[in-house]
Amino acid sequence: MTDQSLPPILVVDDNEDNANIIRDYLEARGYPISVAYNGDEAMDLFESMKPTIVLLDVMMPGRDGWQVCREMKASAEGRPLRVVMVTALQDWMDKRQALETGADDYVEKPFELARLAAVVERNIAQLSPTR
Amino acid sequence: MPNYRRLFRGGSEQRVPTVSAAIDSVRQAIQERKELLVLYFNFDRYTKIEEIYGWEKLDEILQTTGAAIREFLSTSPFAGSEVMVNFTNDDDFVLFHIPPPEKAVPSPDQITELTGKLHQYIARRIEDEHGDEIAALFDTFVGSAHIHYDPKIRLERQIYRAIRDAASSSNSVEQREFAQKASDLRDTLRTGSLYIDYHPIVVTETQEIFGYEALARGTMKSMRRPEVMFEVAEQTDMIWELSRLCRNTAISGMKERLTKNQLLFINVDPHDFTDPMFTEMDLDVKDPSKVVLEITERTAIRDYPKFRGRLKDFRDRGYRFAVDDAGSGYAGLGSIANLEPNFIKLDISLINCIDANFIKQSLVEKMVGFGNDQNAMVIAEGVETAEEYETVKQLGVHLVQGFYLHPPAPERATPVPPPRA
Repeated sequence: MTDQSLPPILVVDDNEDNANIIRDYLEARGYPISVAYNGDEAMDLFESMKPTIVLLDVMMPGRDGWQVCREMKASAEGRPLRVVMVTALQDWMDKRQALETGADDYVEKPFELARLAAVVERNIAQLSPTR
Repeated sequence: MPNYRRLFRGGSEQRVPTVSAAIDSVRQAIQERKELLVLYFNFDRYTKIEEIYGWEKLDEILQTTGAAIREFLSTSPFAGSEVMVNFTNDDDFVLFHIPPPEKAVPSPDQITELTGKLHQYIARRIEDEHGDEIAALFDTFVGSAHIHYDPKIRLERQIYRAIRDAASSSNSVEQREFAQKASDLRDTLRTGSLYIDYHPIVVTETQEIFGYEALARGTMKSMRRPEVMFEVAEQTDMIWELSRLCRNTAISGMKERLTKNQLLFINVDPHDFTDPMFTEMDLDVKDPSKVVLEITERTAIRDYPKFRGRLKDFRDRGYRFAVDDAGSGYAGLGSIANLEPNFIKLDISLINCIDANFIKQSLVEKMVGFGNDQNAMVIAEGVETAEEYETVKQLGVHLVQGFYLHPPAPERATPVPPPRA
């Protein structure tokens, strides 16, 4: 059962197992979830489902996560959107690059699902109209 | 890279076409009308705004610019005509104007007048929405070319030639204005027409004033922003003279400004250390331990060992150092550690909206840890909101500077009388 009051989440990962695990976990928590397995699919779904949270893997064949993030942020045009990079942003340079693309947050791989849920929640908190 | 394509987007779905796509869509209209006006918009210093305030701010300014241009055009002789906008490269835009059948193409004088007014209109809109600090930092130069369609010559060639002509006419407008600024700078140096804005730096926890950053501003309108003044000085080889005047003016105002234990932060470019008249002995400072020299990380340091030697001379005399704009580039913490700073000033792009961005928080947290290890105090500049202040406080940032705690008010910017020339 998905809860219509929760924001729609788009999960993007070329590793189908990873993507499906994240989907099952977040779906069980009530979030409406869509899954894309590459950058092109992600952009198509982004236009059609208009997610407010995107969990984005960086290393993907074709359009990588950086490029996808940049394109999503450019086409969101004022619509609320939080992009969470799902990757190991270990050094300074990675994080700087993430900022340049417009990303809002990151979850380091490998991660525990509870950690992912916490990150999703803190980004939803940033969407609230009280801000 | 900012999304310049968004600049002229009216509705959410309206995309800016490429030059060749635009030519295809206006081909018939030009062949019928047989005339075309090309306007070339040269946006100056937009990259500077991005460097200082970050891309989010630049995006907002681009939106304002786009809206201002659309508004202006809709009430000008260009209204109701077929106008296409085009993206040429990252900085510039081209606009095609095909007059409606019954209307004449504006005369060269009218165009000059219009582009002048447009320039002012954009500046005013940016000032209204983003403040005069930002408005003083940018310029728009508009050039134009008028072509009469010649069916013997390929349309594409005619249009590209017109774009080149319009671009070069926008450059000559820019050169004319630059010559004026260079003359303003010479007057500034000759008459010492500078005053210092002392920006408070406060202790994050207690909000006590820890010190002041001296920001030199020219009294002439075109010289208000130090960035503009220094850019003109650099291009006209007057940088040492300007730096000396700024330093001396800041130091001479120190006595009145600083109370006991407060420090004066002065901006110094690595290039200044090659000035034979800038030495630890030449500065007219009674107590060097009250002066912090802020070195920007952006400027390339050519001769590193020599530079470090110069820093040591100053340090031995009691001066302290800050690394300015830390974290603005991709360089990690190693390059900062090399300068052994007493203060690390975080780049403003890391602070802007930090409360909503967890990546920025992680970077700043890391910088604070690094500062603690190196025995350096970390300063967050550009703190403009309560949320930003609370976030940097939580992250352990030692000092803050910004409009949230000390809003810019004219009475704070008390002009210090310039030294006699």
